[in-house]
Amino acid sequence: MSDQSSGLSKAQEIYSNRSRRARELKAEGRKLIGYPCVYVPVEMLTALDLIPYRACGDIREPVTEADRALPGSFCAVMRSCLDCALKGKNDFLDGMVAIHSSDPQEKTARVWESYTDHPYFHFIDMPVTVRPEAVEYFTSQLDDFRKTLEAFAGRELSADRLKQAIDYHNRQRGLVRQLYDLTKTSPPAISGTEILQVVKAVMGLPVAEGNDLLTEVIGEARDRTDRPEKKPARLLLWGSTLDDADVMQVFEAKANVVLDDSCGGVRAYRADVKLTGNPLVDLARYYLNEITCARTFRQASPGETSKEYTKDLQSRFGYLDDIIREWNINGAIMLLVRYCDPFAFEMPALKDYFESLGLPSTYIEYDYTTGALAPLRTRVEAFLETIA
Amino acid sequence: MTAQDKEKRAINRLESMRPLRAKVNETYLKSVEAIQSGKPAVWGMLNFYYGDPILKAMDIEVVYPENYGAIAAAMGVAQQYLDRADAEGFPTHLCGYSLTTLGYASRMMKELGGEIPPEAPLGGMPKPLFLMSSAAICDARYKWFQALGRYMDAPVWTLEAPTPGVKEFFMEGYYDAMVTLGVKHLRDFVAFVETMVGRKMDWDRLDRITNLMIEVNRVWHEVNELRKVKPCPMHSRDFWSAMPAALFLAGDLEDSLRLYQDMYREVKARVDSGIGAVPEEKYRLVFAELPPWHSLAFFDKLAERGWSFVVESFGYRPPIPIDPDVMAVSDPLERITRFSLQFFAGYYEDARQQKVLGGAFAYPYLKYAREWKCDGAMLHPLISCRSASTHLPYVADMLMEKLKVPSLSIEGDIVDLRLFNTEDALARAEPFEETMDHYRMVRQQEGLDW
Repeated sequence: MSDQSSGLSKAQEIYSNRSRRARELKAEGRKLIGYPCVYVPVEMLTALDLIPYRACGDIREPVTEADRALPGSFCAVMRSCLDCALKGKNDFLDGMVAIHSSDPQEKTARVWESYTDHPYFHFIDMPVTVRPEAVEYFTSQLDDFRKTLEAFAGRELSADRLKQAIDYHNRQRGLVRQLYDLTKTSPPAISGTEILQVVKAVMGLPVAEGNDLLTEVIGEARDRTDRPEKKPARLLLWGSTLDDADVMQVFEAKANVVLDDSCGGVRAYRADVKLTGNPLVDLARYYLNEITCARTFRQASPGETSKEYTKDLQSRFGYLDDIIREWNINGAIMLLVRYCDPFAFEMPALKDYFESLGLPSTYIEYDYTTGALAPLRTRVEAFLETIA
Repeated sequence: MTAQDKEKRAINRLESMRPLRAKVNETYLKSVEAIQSGKPAVWGMLNFYYGDPILKAMDIEVVYPENYGAIAAAMGVAQQYLDRADAEGFPTHLCGYSLTTLGYASRMMKELGGEIPPEAPLGGMPKPLFLMSSAAICDARYKWFQALGRYMDAPVWTLEAPTPGVKEFFMEGYYDAMVTLGVKHLRDFVAFVETMVGRKMDWDRLDRITNLMIEVNRVWHEVNELRKVKPCPMHSRDFWSAMPAALFLAGDLEDSLRLYQDMYREVKARVDSGIGAVPEEKYRLVFAELPPWHSLAFFDKLAERGWSFVVESFGYRPPIPIDPDVMAVSDPLERITRFSLQFFAGYYEDARQQKVLGGAFAYPYLKYAREWKCDGAMLHPLISCRSASTHLPYVADMLMEKLKVPSLSIEGDIVDLRLFNTEDALARAEPFEETMDHYRMVRQQEGLDW
């Protein structure tokens, strides 16, 4: 990266070549641990001076190596992610942490662990409900994660250090929310594409460095005179993974994406970890309860013995109501990366929810390749015409 | 020659399978009659023993939409439900059974006001009292029941199902945490069921049912162990026919236990007499994942070529009884949990030693190929069932890399029956025999003992 770069240009440079900064850190003697999903509690890595590095796929890279172990009708993101790993694109990583946040994550973890030789690999099991016994079990899983991490790092993960790391990551969550606050204006002070680049850059940096970068970007965006062009549509994107600026630009060609509720966007930053005592319990509660991914089974009240559809929708999607009003959103795109079952099952229900709010929406899927961009563009333009 | 004679010659079916299968069928029909006469029913997912003994102890009729999806497909009525699910906005690449159920529920609730659709085969599925989903195996199996909330107000209970990592499973305290989750979760599930049906659990009955479930599966496991012998005394067709009584706890468990014991005696007698299920066993194969239910005669054609399917899909086999203390556990909920955990964990010690970190999804097939002395694997990836397909390339890779056992992949589907082409599959069998012959030599060269 150039010495003079800062703020947005620096974020864009890191986004464009994430592994370069990772290799620099590695050369400085730092250890990097990869993780493929935002459910991995990165605070625990930070607390042991390990750098959490979000391992991503690449829509420009044809999947070849992953074919050895994963079929074509499999989560396209995880196939691409594994493919990049098997091609050595993440060869600077000292280890990997995988989590059972979905069936493809779990299946890919097994293959990843078998086919690579990272010095460290840990698999965290994750319950699907938010019931008390599920939180207790997830806490025990995080405690096991702590033990293997301590053995790898050669030092103890104290509660104080973990609380300090949680503070750092909470600050990062707050900064990302501030970034999204900048899209509340019309025109937004920062584009959806720029935010995506910043967030993806931050997901490969030590937390303090990421926070500095976010602070720079926020300051720059607040003061900038060259704001993104105001477009007629202010869109909410909802989906599993959106981590490529070219895909985001398809949406932003004729609209402003003011909120990206995906795991490449605000999802991992929407709430803070609340420190109440045992930080592992607090992390377990946060990751199970607060990250609003379709993989978690939510109900109006856990164990309910009667059911009402509107209350059910509210428990699963109610958080979007405030977002839609605060960001003055006038259209929603439910974006599915093909073969992502947890999100695919949500589509009709979420459409019902959007309809209940009077918000036009459409469901679009793509296969996480550059070949998908042209048809994606056609679908987006058709939707934008309907809400114009 | 009648078709029956031909089948008799191709595969020597077990006599003891017939009364067991008849019992399963009779149980299903009784269940349909009970439901039609107004007895409440629950829709359940295959839950690997966590929930079924509890519902059985509470005398609740359970219908399994996964199985019903297969029936609807075989009877030719699934397509209208698939079309309807598509029109409702569900992506077409979702699990075929789930789409069938969603389309069915939409038709029943939105079009017929809750009445069973007249075209529904075998009595149909009535509106359930509640839904029991399961987190085991795949995401679809709990998201699908959640999605049914769009059509019916039946509450959903999602059964947790821990899925340990292979290395991690052996950490101190790991197993105990899984047991704690299971016991607490099932205790709350019992309370939920009691509220839903308005009566209390008969704990003595649950105790008896749990013990019978464990014993039925132990005997069933022993039957399958006998199939390691050459020639294999029991073919996969008998496995598939007999499996529901142990996996779904179909029917009276005391009857089932007696019938599995009869089966054990028959299979043992065959072993002692050197009688094989395929008269001239030339090739021994492992079958991976759901069979083509609608084309099971395919196995007979292969048997005519000397192919014997000696072991099959881990997801439908009884757990390996690795926990000798399970019967001594006083709390039936803990007994259920520990029994069920064996479903995965039964393979983990070997998997760790063999460094096959695919755990329960890939390692079992290596175990089967090695211990059942398989010459090849037939993999049956199913287009719209990812849980039964996604691990198969990995399985094939591991089988070849570790054991020099080749795989033949024949595509099919769980609802689109056109995808399985019997003639095409048979055409690929002959060249695969040459492959199996070749790798027999390779294994010998590498010091493997079959």
